[in-house]
Order: sequence, then C-alpha cells, then structure tokens
Amino acid sequence: MPRLMDLGMDRLQNMLLEMGKLSEQTVATAIEAYHMGKNLQDVNRWSINLKQLDDQVSELSIELIARFQPVASDLRYIKACMEISYGFYRYGRYAHDIMEVLETFGDLTKCDRAVVETTAEKTKEMIELSVEAFANKDVDLAMKIVSMDDDVDDAYRGYIAVLMKSRKVDLRCALSQTLILRYLERIADHAVYIGKSVYFIVKGEEPAFEEKS
Amino acid sequence: MAGIMASSGIDRRRRITNRAMTGLVYLSVCLAISPLVFILADVAIRGASVINIDFFTHLPRPVDVSGGGIANAIVGSFVMVGLASLMAVPFGVAAGIFFSEWPESRLSTVSSFMNDVLAEFPSIVVGIFVYVLVVLATGTFSALAGGMALAIIMIPIVARTTEESLKLVPRNLREASMALGVPRWKTVLSIVISTGKAGLFTGVLLAVARAAGETAPLLLTALGNSFYATSLMQPTAALPLLIYTDGISPFPQWQADAWGAALVLILSMLALNLAIKLTVGRRMSHARPEN
Amino acid sequence: MTIEMQKGREDEAMKEGLTVSTDVRTVTFGSKMKTRGLRAWFGKSEVIKGIDLDIPEKCVTAIMGPSGCGKTTFIRCLNRIHELTPGAKVQGEVMLDDENIYGPKVDAVAVRRKIGMVFQKPNPFPTMSIYDNVAAGLKLNGVKDKKLLDEVVERSLKMGFLWEEVKNDLRKPGAALSGGQQQRLCIARAIAVQPEVLLMDEPASALDPTATAKIEEAMVQLKKQYTIVIVTHNMQQAARVADYTAFFYLGELVEFGETAPLFENPQKELTERYITGKFG
Repeated sequence: MPRLMDLGMDRLQNMLLEMGKLSEQTVATAIEAYHMGKNLQDVNRWSINLKQLDDQVSELSIELIARFQPVASDLRYIKACMEISYGFYRYGRYAHDIMEVLETFGDLTKCDRAVVETTAEKTKEMIELSVEAFANKDVDLAMKIVSMDDDVDDAYRGYIAVLMKSRKVDLRCALSQTLILRYLERIADHAVYIGKSVYFIVKGEEPAFEEKS
Repeated sequence: MAGIMASSGIDRRRRITNRAMTGLVYLSVCLAISPLVFILADVAIRGASVINIDFFTHLPRPVDVSGGGIANAIVGSFVMVGLASLMAVPFGVAAGIFFSEWPESRLSTVSSFMNDVLAEFPSIVVGIFVYVLVVLATGTFSALAGGMALAIIMIPIVARTTEESLKLVPRNLREASMALGVPRWKTVLSIVISTGKAGLFTGVLLAVARAAGETAPLLLTALGNSFYATSLMQPTAALPLLIYTDGISPFPQWQADAWGAALVLILSMLALNLAIKLTVGRRMSHARPEN
Repeated sequence: MTIEMQKGREDEAMKEGLTVSTDVRTVTFGSKMKTRGLRAWFGKSEVIKGIDLDIPEKCVTAIMGPSGCGKTTFIRCLNRIHELTPGAKVQGEVMLDDENIYGPKVDAVAVRRKIGMVFQKPNPFPTMSIYDNVAAGLKLNGVKDKKLLDEVVERSLKMGFLWEEVKNDLRKPGAALSGGQQQRLCIARAIAVQPEVLLMDEPASALDPTATAKIEEAMVQLKKQYTIVIVTHNMQQAARVADYTAFFYLGELVEFGETAPLFENPQKELTERYITGKFG
C-alpha cells in the first residue's frame, strides 16, 4: 500500500530521470557542435532548463523532509537526489561552457582533435552510465564510472604536459582544446560523484576509495 | 423549494411514535413513584396530628392518659443502631477492603460470595439466630442482642459497598503508588481508601438507614419496653417495635402514636438520605477535563 | 546525536575513565541495567520471548515497535510491576548494576524505589495537593522532616519543569492541573524518591504537542542524573530524545543501537520496513 510520501518520492524520481535524459542530450549536442563546427543554440536553453529543474528538486526534497520526516532509505534517497540533481545541472552547465568556447574561438576544424574526441566519447559514456545507474540503482555501473575517471584525468593532464613540451603551438587550438578538456574532466568528476551517490542510496554509506582530483 | 427538510409522512409518524413512547415512559415513572408518594402522604396525614414536643420527650402513657410520647423508642433505636454500627462498621469495612484489594485469594472469593448470601438473608432468621445465641444464653432480651442482630444485617451492606467503592478507584492509582516503592498494605490504606472514602461513608450511612428500619430481628432480641432501659442487658424499646405493637393494638390513641412514630422514622430516613447526597455530592473530584 | 553533544559526552566519559575510541560514534557507557533471557506471560500467552538488552547508564533509551510487540510489558518487568497483574509471570534475569532484581531474596518494594515509573495516562493522587503528591513517596515511607520535604518538593518540581507554574499554588489539588502539568507532576513525584532509573511508558501520548515538547525537554535534563528508558509508539519522538533505540517486534528484540545510525541506516530489514512505514 503506497504511503503518503510515495507520491512525492515518485515525483522526485521522475524529475531526476527527466534531468538525466536532458543533461545527456545537452552534453551530446555540445560535443556534436564541436565535431561539426556548428553552433547549436538549444544547448543554452537546455542548460537553463536544467538549472530550474535543479531548483525544483531542491524545493521538493526540503518539502518532503519537512512534511514527512523520512528516515532510513527514504532519507538517504532524498539526500542523494539533491546531490545527483546538482550533478545533472553541472553537466548542462559545462555543456554550455563548451558552447561558449566554440563561440569564442570560432572555427577549430584545423586543430588536431584526436584527444578531445576520444575523451569526449569516454565522457559521454560516463554520463550515460551515470543516468542509467541512477535509474536502475545499479551499484556495479556506479563503480564502473569510478574506474573510467582515471582515463579522463590522464587525458587532460597528458594533453597539458605535451603542450608544455611543444615548441610550435597554435594558440587558438591549444587554448580551446585545453578548456574543453578541462570541462570534460569536470563532467567526468560529476559522473563519479553521481556514481557515489547511487552507491550511498543502495548501501547506506560512502564507498571507501580515494579519488584523484 | 420544498427540499429535504420538509415534513414527510415518515417524519410525522416518527414524531408521533416518539411522543407516545415518551408519554408511556412518564406514565410508568409516575406509577412507580406513586406507592412512595401515597405512603408518605398517608403517614404524614395520619401521623402529623400526634406530633408535638411531648411526643418526643415523654414516655408512653396508659391508654386513657394524654401526653404520651415515644422518647424511649427513639433512644432505644439510637442505642441499638449505634451499638450495631460500632460492631459492624470495622468488620464490614475490613472485609470490603479485603475483597477488593486481594481478589486473587481463595478466601476472598469464597467470603465475598458468602457475604452476598448473608445480605439476602431473611432478617427474621437473623433474629432467631441471635435469640438462641444471646437471649437464651444470657436469659434476657437486651439491647445488646438487638444491636448484634442489627450488626449482622449491617455487615454485608457495609462490606459490599466498601468493596464496590474501592473497586472504583482506578487501577493506575494503585500502580502509581506501588511504582514509588510503597508496600501494598500502605498503598491500600493511604491511597486507595482515601480516594474511595466517599463511597465508604455512603455505605455506612446506607447500612445505618437499613438497620434503623428493621423490625423482625428486634422482635426476638430486644422485645420492646414501655420504659427506658437502664442497662444494655434489658429489653429495650425501638421505633419499629413500637410501630408494630401500637399499630396492632385496639386503642385508637396508640394507633395514632404508631402513625406518629412511623412519620418520625420515615422523616429520619429522608434526612439521612439527604445527608448522604449532600456530603457525597460536595466531595466530587476536582479534576478538570484534559486540555 | 549532534557532534557537539557527542563531544560533551566524550569529555564526560574521559572524566569517568571510560574508554573512548577515536570514532565519534562509539563512545561507550557502562550498562545500568541488563536483561538476560527475559520472558513474560499474561496467563498462557507469551508476550516477551527472550530478550537480552543492555541499557546504557545516564542515557535515554527508547523502545519502539508496533502495538502488541511487548514494549510496555518489557518495561513493566524492569521494575517488577508486571507481576502485580493477576496471572502474570516472569522468567529470566534483570540486572540492576549486576544485581538480579528477580533474585530469590530481593524485596520487590525496594526494587521499585530504585526504579521509578511514569505512566501513559497522568495519575496524580486525586485527594492530595500538588505538594503532597510530590512528597507522597517520601511521606508514605515515613519521612516527616518538613524542611527536607520542602527541599525535595522544590527540587523535584524544578527538575520536572513544573516549579515556575505551580510554586504559588502548592496546596491546590493535584488533579486540578492540565494534562501536561499533571504528567510533569507525576515525573516530579517519581524523581522525588531519588530512583536510579526512570521508566516512562509513552509519557506524552495523551498530551498535545506543546506539552509533549516540555516533557521531552525535561527528559534531556533528567538524563544527566538518571538512566531513562522510554516506551514510545511515536518514532519521531524516539528520534528526537533518545540516545539509543531498541526495536521490538512480536515480543523479540530486532535491533538495538545508537539512535542516529539506526534511523539513517538500519541493519535489519524489519527495522527498515517499520520505520519507513512500509509495514503491512
């Protein structure tokens, strides 16, 4: 028999699923824009949407806590939802930032985009895993995200290291790619945080491992 | 709009039935009270003419002499009821406490049952019993024997009302006291009794009222006396006895005395009952409703 | 418990020479009472089916569970009130500071002086004044010294958070107070005899929220001196006031632990289902 609170909890779940899909789409579109060199305005709009949804999730969570005094798994779930919602919002935010880079730097098709493209693919995968892990409360997927983070970190730091050793540097390419890699790395970090929150929902405690920042 | 509130056939029938039943109830009540009213009225009318100061202060006089009274009967009743109370109240209260506070004991359940049986005993049988036990043994009718007979009648009443009043004391008061580390007997004496004392008082008064009106046992124990008794071991007058002997006598003057005595007795009953109502009523608890 | 409360506890514990681990959550207090294999019956029906529970000293321990789980019977066994009910039976050990209160030579009346109780429905003695109610435990045990009684009454009413409201009306009948005040009066009466443990059977369930809050405030102060065990069917109350919580179900102890971890992350699924309201 459903409890009074379940109505609110279901709404919370649905809002988060919606945010998940939307943020996935937003980041994918931004990356596509990078590939094709085009400017896709939707990203800005979606990023603002995600911010509003994050605010709504916050409000709903507080309301559920004030009204229903949830405990145990319910309480952990609400706490995690607030964290995950923030993560989805950040996805959108960084996608927006990537679009800004594209706007600022113009045509980047002549740059060597191999590193960015592979990293982007990885990041996209991590995002998809994070959304799926939340939807299915899958701890294994959550842990998989964590393991993928290292590659993204390495790619980012590696690129900078190579850059510092190069003698001839195209400033436009270097700056824009660095920025984009930075944003991708932050997106990956948030995917990891989301994974940790999913772990918390299921297990009731923080996973015990170090994270490199 | 006619609406739901308008009177329909069913409503009218219900109202008529309601009024009829109410009327029936009132009628029944009147029928039930009427014997009491008639008796009171009858006694009052017939007895009032005899009531004067002499009636209360003089001894009975021979038939053709005026100014006789029922003073010895009044004194006799007082003495015997008083004696009976002294004997019955301590035992009755103690028994009532025992029945109420130690219900788990076998002795308690058995005695309680026997107490109820004793309460229903025909009072003439009590009279015979005390006649054999005391009158024959001492060789004389006496106020003592009369008092004992009345005591035997009073004990079950006192015990039963005591038991019932104490049972009304909520269980959680006993538990509160026990939880403070107060031993059981002290709990009973200090908490239970003091909470239930209104009921105890009522019980005693009820028993007194009953004893004052008993005639049959006194016939066989106190016998009656035309004069004051000078000791407890002499036959003694009492109001019910006087009503009996004077009432069946062939002399109108004495018969009138009987009516007067009956009036005195009934008025005393009423006064006692009123006293009970007033004292118990004032003692009602002060608890406020929960807010 | 908040971190500040925990810190305060650690300091106290250090002073007593008790062990304090580095993990903030495992400050240990000695056990004031322990039950071992406690079983209780009403006639033929076994209501408590073997409970081993350690009650930590000078803490509030809450016992919660659905109706009929035996929680009230349990605390009534802790001060030997259960056996007063006709047909009641108790088996097993209940230790108060390493002494079994059900031992063969133990006087139940003495036990009850050390383990006091406050009942669900306030039950001040109706024929006594406020003063006499609080002093009842002492007076009935022979204490006559007026000055001592005055002191005790004032101290107890202060600890029960009732002094300010009644200090000018001590001769008023105890039953003339409001429900919440009556209950605080009962608390004052219970602590006037200086017990070591205070048992409370759903003390606030008959009271409105304001009165309940006052009782809870009193509890937090009282636990500095007394070990408190409270039965409650209100989980939020247990979450608010208790340091430790035990969850009973059908006469058995399902889970016991510090309140915050138990409410955030219960170990047993039954506990989880109960506190999230998913019971059938």
